[in-house]
Amino acid sequence: MQIGPPIVIVGHRCTRCERVAFPPDPYGCEQCGAEADQLEPVELSARGRIHSLATVHRHHDDAMETPFTVATIVLDDGPSVKAVLIGDLAEAAVGTDVVGVTEATGHDDDGIELLDLRFTPAGALSEAVTS
Amino acid sequence: MSRNLLAERETFVVGIGFHQYQRKSKTTYVTLGLTAARAALADAGIEWTDVESAYNGTALLGMGSSRIMLSRLGSTGIPMAQVENASASGSTAVAQACMEVASGQSDVVLAMGVDKPRGGLGAAPGQAGIENLEGGTIVPFTHFALLASEYMSAHGVSAEEVAAVALKNHRNGAHNPYAQRQKVRTMEEIMAEPISGSMTRLQCCPVGEGAAAVIVASGEAIERLGIDRTRAVRVLSSVTRTERLYGPGEGIDAALTAETAGLAFDAASVDPKEVDVLEVHDAFSIEELLYTEALGLCAPGEAASLVASGQFDLGGRCALSPSGGLLAMGHPIGPTGTGQVAEITRQLRGEAGERQQPNAKIGAAHMVGIGAVCVVHVLQA
Ligand SMILES: [Zn+2]
Repeated sequence: MQIGPPIVIVGHRCTRCERVAFPPDPYGCEQCGAEADQLEPVELSARGRIHSLATVHRHHDDAMETPFTVATIVLDDGPSVKAVLIGDLAEAAVGTDVVGVTEATGHDDDGIELLDLRFTPAGALSEAVTS
Repeated sequence: MSRNLLAERETFVVGIGFHQYQRKSKTTYVTLGLTAARAALADAGIEWTDVESAYNGTALLGMGSSRIMLSRLGSTGIPMAQVENASASGSTAVAQACMEVASGQSDVVLAMGVDKPRGGLGAAPGQAGIENLEGGTIVPFTHFALLASEYMSAHGVSAEEVAAVALKNHRNGAHNPYAQRQKVRTMEEIMAEPISGSMTRLQCCPVGEGAAAVIVASGEAIERLGIDRTRAVRVLSSVTRTERLYGPGEGIDAALTAETAGLAFDAASVDPKEVDVLEVHDAFSIEELLYTEALGLCAPGEAASLVASGQFDLGGRCALSPSGGLLAMGHPIGPTGTGQVAEITRQLRGEAGERQQPNAKIGAAHMVGIGAVCVVHVLQA
């Protein structure tokens, strides 16, 4: 787990109907039908609350080591996302506040480290930072 | 829906047929499909030459599957089309057949579904070029494990109470000779082998191969062809809806079902609480609870205790998934929705033997499919 400056997630905001959505969409607005050029990037705080969670015991992709835990997270800025939870999850439950962190997931062909966005309980993270 | 044609021209299911749902085998899809189609024709007591049109629900076979199969009943030259609507493909085949008969264009139409598994489902949404945060981590069983987490947390329901759906459906499936899983299970067996969240192997449907067929006919055809009217089951309504936008964290699957079912029951002038037999899309145990509530049979949060107390067993106030549902009968994709309508027809005829819901008069069939679509049919004895 890597802790740095606060992470932002880039979604889109429709300039016609104001709908904020994630992920950003290359085609158009699902609410009002505005075309893609009327969608503008919007930064969403990677903070939210667990809406539901599940520990995955079996997965078809052997590259995904099991068990791992996923959650539906309703972001403070509106949209909900699904993402992998990492860190100390002993106290993680529906309603737990979570924040985005990055996790190294390997290297690309040029040897550059690849980072993926994960979420971790906000309480555990603040303890980790202060200790 | 501006008009319910099914209210204007009486439309019936007059024949049903299956090839058993089973694990992938060397049996060709042609054999699977012909077995079901021939059985449906024999059940209706009509000839292939009486059939004016055919819709074949299939999601996995690839293009052009119908004619090479159905021509072995005789190359009569009738219109045929493959119908793809993900898990609801077979439901949409029935919907098309009903519309064609209700509109007066035809009097006798075959609706069927046939599929064989291949590597993966090849679903198009994954090719839309829209990247999600979760990458490949959220497969269907995890999507529904997340819904189970939400449901258990919101309503104070235990994992065992959710699993009671599977206990019931495996018990029903044990009496269904067309089911892929025909074994009564114990709660210990159901709770073993965790897959994702509280979902275990026996709370996830098997995706195998098989076929189902129904013959849809008008009242005029019943008279003209001398079909046994007492075994004809009327289709009161057929409604299809697709997903809209809902609030953050709102249950998409349940909201879509509630909207579709509301329209279907309204069009049929049926109160959902009057339904005697119901086949729902129980691909995962949690779904039966969510959809039973969304269909209007009980209030949100009530379904788990009603299942656990036996009210949705055979002989209870409404038999839920009497065929064994997707969990036990199986979910071969294309056939599943057609098979549900065939099971409801069998129940409303009073011909379901050991799994008969006593005195069943009104039934409904509900399917959802990724994409995301919902189809509800309401039928009456
Ligand atoms: Zn818009």
